[in-house]
Amino acid sequence: MKQIEFERAFDPRRCRHLLEGRVSVLHCHHYSTLYTQLADDCSLLDARSLLARVAADTFHGVLTELQRKRGLLAVADRIAAAEQYYAFAGLGRLKVTVAGPESGEAVLERSHIDEGWIRKWGRRDRPVNFITQGFLAAAFAAAFDGRPEQYAVKELSSIVCGQQSSRFQVARL
Amino acid sequence: MAIDRKRIIDSLSKVTVSGDENGLIPVFGVLVNQLPADFWNAFAHRLTHLVEPDMLEAAEVLLVNAAHECGYHTGYGIITSEEWNSVVAPMVEKVPEDILHGAVAVLAAWGWANAEVVELAPGEHMVVRAYDYYEADPVCYGRASRPQAYMLRGVCAAFMDLAYGGPYDPTGKKGLRTFTCIQTKGVECGDPYGEFVVTRAGA
Repeated sequence: MKQIEFERAFDPRRCRHLLEGRVSVLHCHHYSTLYTQLADDCSLLDARSLLARVAADTFHGVLTELQRKRGLLAVADRIAAAEQYYAFAGLGRLKVTVAGPESGEAVLERSHIDEGWIRKWGRRDRPVNFITQGFLAAAFAAAFDGRPEQYAVKELSSIVCGQQSSRFQVARL
Repeated sequence: MAIDRKRIIDSLSKVTVSGDENGLIPVFGVLVNQLPADFWNAFAHRLTHLVEPDMLEAAEVLLVNAAHECGYHTGYGIITSEEWNSVVAPMVEKVPEDILHGAVAVLAAWGWANAEVVELAPGEHMVVRAYDYYEADPVCYGRASRPQAYMLRGVCAAFMDLAYGGPYDPTGKKGLRTFTCIQTKGVECGDPYGEFVVTRAGA
């Protein structure tokens, strides 16, 4: 599939940037890792799952709209679109290595969250990429016409823990 | 005033970024991402409406702090960037006051808030009004019972840290948190604008 040209616009009246028709904002790794840390620390609420669910809900909307606007029907094209959006958004280099409606795997070779966390605080012994877990649930749901809450994503290895890449396993519930 | 807010917004709103060959955006001395505003809003709103009431203040402090650190480090990267030097720096006459006005104009250029400095006592106190900001978007009906623009609170305080908190400290141990910000009005609360009052911490 060819490279997607993501649509941008600026509304000068409201001073809003739009990416693919949605209000979009720039934030830095300090912001995204501190949100991630807040989610990680708020264990009474299981805010890690909350952050992943928010990511899943948001990106499912983005990806299904991308698919609709560009007439993407083939699974390979839908997955490619998700990977391209992830990179365009500055989240890193994500490759889905195997995918089916019931399960799949993905590898994150470069990561905004993991590398941002290491820059800020150094390595740690537990994964931090709740946002990407949600993104993958969204990507699989979009690719196979499901819903994000139908997919569970587990992070099996992590850049933040010192591994070469972050690896994820996806399973339909 | 020397700062031409409209020109800053016209010029800097055209600056675009996207992931490099690694899917990363290393600019302004930080890694940047560009995500739907809905994503940040949804997490903040769900969290603050799900936590127990006695944990709400702590959650809000941490949401503000995320923006405070972001505003401090990324803000420094912005005011020392090529883009700033080409558009804003030539307008700066009074340092750091004009830099503050310019930085708040950048908030508008980059879609965080249509905001301006309405009051400034150098080194002591700043009031920013935001007439339109993405953090007010989640309220579609009625009025919020408490202000919810955590990002703007943090960033306003951070800009005062950069202006009057001493030399930039990349470790964040000095300078950062010299100032603190409260939100006294909010579009999400039914007010005509959001109002952010920055004062010295502990004052």
